[in-house]
Parts: sequence; C-alpha cells; structure tokens
Amino acid sequence: MKHHIKKIIAVTLSIGMAFSFTACSSNTAAEDPVAKYGSDTLKLYNWGEYMGDTLISDFEKQFGVDVIVEYFDSNEMMYTKIQAGDAYDVLVPSDYMIQRLIENNSLQPLDKEMIPNLANLAEGVKNLPYDPDNTYSAPYFWGDVGIVYNKNNVDLQDLENEGYAILKNPKYKGKIYMYDSERDSFMVALKSLGYSMNTDNEAEIEQAYQWLKELNDTMDPIYVTDEVIDGMMNGNKDLAVVYSGDAATILSENEDMAFFLPKEGTNIWSDAMVIPANAENPKLANEFINYVLTYDASYGNSEAVGYTSSNQQVMDDMSGEGGLYEFNPAYLPRMGYEKDEVFEDNTVLKEKLSELWIKVKASN
Amino acid sequence: MRQFKNMAYPYMIWISIMVVVPMLMIVMYAFTKHGNDVATFWFTFDNFAHFFSDIIFINVLKQSLYIAIVTTIICIFLGYPAAYIMAHSQEKNKMFLMLLITLPTWINMLVRTYAWMGILQDNGIVQNILEFFGIHIKLLHTDFAVILGMVYNFIPFMILQIYTSLTKMDKSLLEAASDLGADKVQCFLKVTFPLSLPGVISGITLVFLPAMSSFFIPKLLGGGQYVLIGNVIESQFLTAGNWNFGSAISLIMAVIIMISMYITKKIESKNGIEKGRVAN
Repeated sequence: MKHHIKKIIAVTLSIGMAFSFTACSSNTAAEDPVAKYGSDTLKLYNWGEYMGDTLISDFEKQFGVDVIVEYFDSNEMMYTKIQAGDAYDVLVPSDYMIQRLIENNSLQPLDKEMIPNLANLAEGVKNLPYDPDNTYSAPYFWGDVGIVYNKNNVDLQDLENEGYAILKNPKYKGKIYMYDSERDSFMVALKSLGYSMNTDNEAEIEQAYQWLKELNDTMDPIYVTDEVIDGMMNGNKDLAVVYSGDAATILSENEDMAFFLPKEGTNIWSDAMVIPANAENPKLANEFINYVLTYDASYGNSEAVGYTSSNQQVMDDMSGEGGLYEFNPAYLPRMGYEKDEVFEDNTVLKEKLSELWIKVKASN
Repeated sequence: MRQFKNMAYPYMIWISIMVVVPMLMIVMYAFTKHGNDVATFWFTFDNFAHFFSDIIFINVLKQSLYIAIVTTIICIFLGYPAAYIMAHSQEKNKMFLMLLITLPTWINMLVRTYAWMGILQDNGIVQNILEFFGIHIKLLHTDFAVILGMVYNFIPFMILQIYTSLTKMDKSLLEAASDLGADKVQCFLKVTFPLSLPGVISGITLVFLPAMSSFFIPKLLGGGQYVLIGNVIESQFLTAGNWNFGSAISLIMAVIIMISMYITKKIESKNGIEKGRVAN
C-alpha cells in the first residue's frame, strides 16, 4: 500500500515536472527510480562541508530520487553509529577506518559493472593497501599532511634543514598551531625521529611521546582542528601542521602563506566512498558513487572544498595551466616518495596513542 | 489525590529507561574490561587503578576542581549583587533585567563560545583596544579566557536562583528588624543573606556541576592545552574508543560531585534552612 502511494506521488510529481520543465530535457522523468533501484531514497553519511554546492540537488534531479544527508566529524563517531546498526547507503570514511570496516565484514563489495567511472580514478589514489583492488571503496578526496608557514616570518632555510623539528625551534615559540589528534601529531613526531608512523615498537613510541611532550612544554603550541583554517588565513600564527586540502584553502586566501612538505615523509591519506553491508538501497548507492566520480561532480566537489580530487582529469585540470589551483602547491599530493606512508588500522595502538596524546597536552 | 497516583507510572517507566538504564550501563562498562559483550562479562578494578596510578590524571582532576571552584566563587560574587539589584528594582525594570540575563541563553552555548574566540583572539577587538592604550597581553588560550568563558556561560543559573530566593522573601521581616533597631547592614547580614542562602546553595550546585564537566569551553578558549577531566572523558569515548576507561572516569566524577553536593547540603541545613524555619 505504502509503495502504491509513493508511486502515485512519484508519478504525479514527474508529470508535474514534465509540464513545468517542458523546455528542459525530459530525462528527469524518464525512468521510475523505484522500479529501477528498488527505492527512491539514498541515505548518505559524509563529512561536514565536503561536497560541492549542487552535488546532491543535481543527482536528485538527474535520477529522480531523494538523498538524505547526515554529517559526521570524526571517523570514530561514524564507526560508533554503524556498529549500533544504523543503516546508510553510502559512507565516506578514511583509509584506516575502511580497513577496520572491511575486517569487521561491515562493507559490501562495489558493483563494478555499475561504476564504469572507476576508470577515472587518479593513479596515486588507486589500489591503496587498505583495499588493494578497490573492491569495497571508491576514493573521494585525498592528500597529504604538511606545514603551512608565513613566508615573511619563517626562514625557508630553517624548514629545509630541520623539517618537522622546526616545530621545536625556540625561534618560533608561541607561533605554532599543532593538529589536535593523536594520529597526526604522532605522525609528525615519528617521522621527525625517522621511524614509520605505523610502528608499534614501544621504544619508538616512547621517544615520540617525549618529542611531543618537549614541544608542548617548551613551545607553547595551540592545539586546533578545523580552527586552523581561520587562524592561518588571519595570519594569527606562523607555523601550522595542516591537511593539504585545508592548506590549499589557506594559501588561496592569504598570499603570505606557503606550504612545505618535509623530507622526512608524510601521511598520504584518502577518504573513500563505501557501501555498508546493511545498506537498504545498494543499487542506488552504486549509481551515486558512479555519479560522484564523473568529471562534473568531482570538479564541483574539489572546487568548493579545496581538497584534491580522486578524478585524474579533474586533478590535472585544477593543478594544470589555467587551473584553479595552478599556483597552489598544496593541491597536488606528493606521489611515489618512499618515506610517505598510508595509515594502517591498529585499535590497540590507537587507544594507547590517544591516551599518550591526552597526557602530552595535560603535562605542563 | 490518590486517583492520580497511577498516572505517575508512565513517568516512572520513562525515567527508568532514559536515566537509570544508561547509568547502569556506565557502571557496567566501568567495572568491565575491553571487548565487552554480555557473554564475556569480566569484572575488574583495572580502569580505576589505571586512573589513580597516574599522576597526570590526578593533576587533571585537581585542575578541573580548581577551575570549577574558581568559576563558582566568581559567579557568587558577581551574581549576588546582580540578583540583589534585580530583586529590589521596579517591576518593569525587573522584567527588562530578567530579559537581559536570560537572552544570551536563547542562543546555543557553543555558538556563544565561538563568539568569545573571535572577541579575544590575537588581533581581535579587545586586543586592539588594549593595544591602543599600550597594553600588550595575550587573551585567548589562557586561564583568563577559560574562566571568563565558564563564568559567562554559567552565571545566569546563579543569578536566577538567588533572585528567586530573594523575591520570595517576606519583606515584613526586614521591617521588623529595623523596628527592633537593626541598621541596613545588620538587616542584610542577619535577615536577607541567611534567607537567600538556599538560593545560593542551589546556584552553586547548578554552576559547579557543569563547570566541573565542561569540555568544549576549555577546548576552544584554552586552545587545547587546557585538559580538564571532561576532555579526558570525551577523548576516551570519541577517539580512543575505550568506553570502559571513559565510564570509569565518569563514575569517579559522579562520586566527587555527590560528595560535594552532600557537603553543600550539610552547610545548607546548618545555616539556611534552620534560620529560615525560625524566621517563618
């Protein structure tokens, strides 16, 4: 009965639309989405401020469906909801979280027949270790983590000589934004010490802990997450650990700022679209993923958010001649550098680092 | 009255599902080990031992208590005169003052705290004004900013509690006191203040509790360097994913709050209520 009513509404709506948009193309009402996908509603769970302005409305119009969007602000928050049994059709978690979801059998494989646009994926973001042949995930945005600095106040020579250790250079005391997450701060410390950021060696972690503690006690850093964008745009500090996409935004708003990728290596991260095992509408989910990977949709996303597109063509156009980010070195991630790594999931380690991180910040 | 008694049952059921069950779950988490599912119920004191064996956590606890106490004291000293003036002003001014006090609470606390970040930030309004007078100080990300944010957010609870107890007071008692030769100061100290104590006490409870557990005010205004007990709990739940340890800390805090409430209740029954009863 419910379906009948829905169908009647859908039909009336599409007739209405056909009348009102006679001049437009008629593919809006071409096929009944319920018949094609089994349902006309898609539930998307994405990061806040992570989509082009018209992405959702364009998709809805083109396929005659409704998209319900919910937002999360950390992978862990999303994971908790998924574990509690909430059903979404598409999620956009980060690399290590996708690994955990795959290990928990919480995802279903993509229907590659429905997603021909997987062929558009950029070289550097394809077939990453967490999902070696993109069975479960279609990358959305990616990038690295580096240091944004004020060209007028920071000596580039210092950066090149010291790398991440510039964050402990007394010259810049009180001028530093640190990223407030154990993952990123321990990455900085471990890389600076010359270790792998995925290490579980007790002694190496202890050294990294001391490194961060020393930074905390001597340099008076401010720990921020998204506030770093506003802070650096306004030039409040001279040095900041920043995700490449945020750095691209900062650089395009404040000409004094520049981006530096330390030689010690960095974290090559990616967020990718996946379909949970309990998705109610997997067919439409595959269709949506295919849509996001088109040139236009990817371009819109990358243009609005500033993060590197997973679409090779968009990435090339944006960073190439005449592109929006032509003179913005933060936009294009470093590729093929041996010291760069991808995060691996390790719940025991994460718990430990998280506690150490609280201790770093609480020590004074 | 008796026939309405049954109507309380839905409420009781609601309370037990929404309040008691979650609390029991916190207790269960606090006393069990990781990898919890009901089948492998594993009773342990490890979480508590872990907390008390680490000097950093103890320091965080001390710091949280310190901030909460300072906030409460400032709220009393600023809030009492404000409530007193409100209670003794004309009827139409009363409404206006009441509006002024409650108006900010119509806006979400988080939004207001962000506003303070803008006001206090480097090169912000306040700093520029001070700079004009030749004063160079850092405002945001200091103790001052955290306490300011706490007092600002929680002082309405203090003012409203004291105001209520002051307006409920029987004015004829003051007349009687002055008839018997008490001057204004004596009137205040011997009559008004003791009678308003219950308001102060409930104000203390309403300010101290949230100040003790607040985590976003120290995070935003303290620049993350400021770790209070609320921040530790938040990180255990949201990033570490160690719900057991987080629950244990919540439980420790609940005990501390219960003790402080017991102490304030003691003080209340010694001073306020008894004198209030005599007066009545």
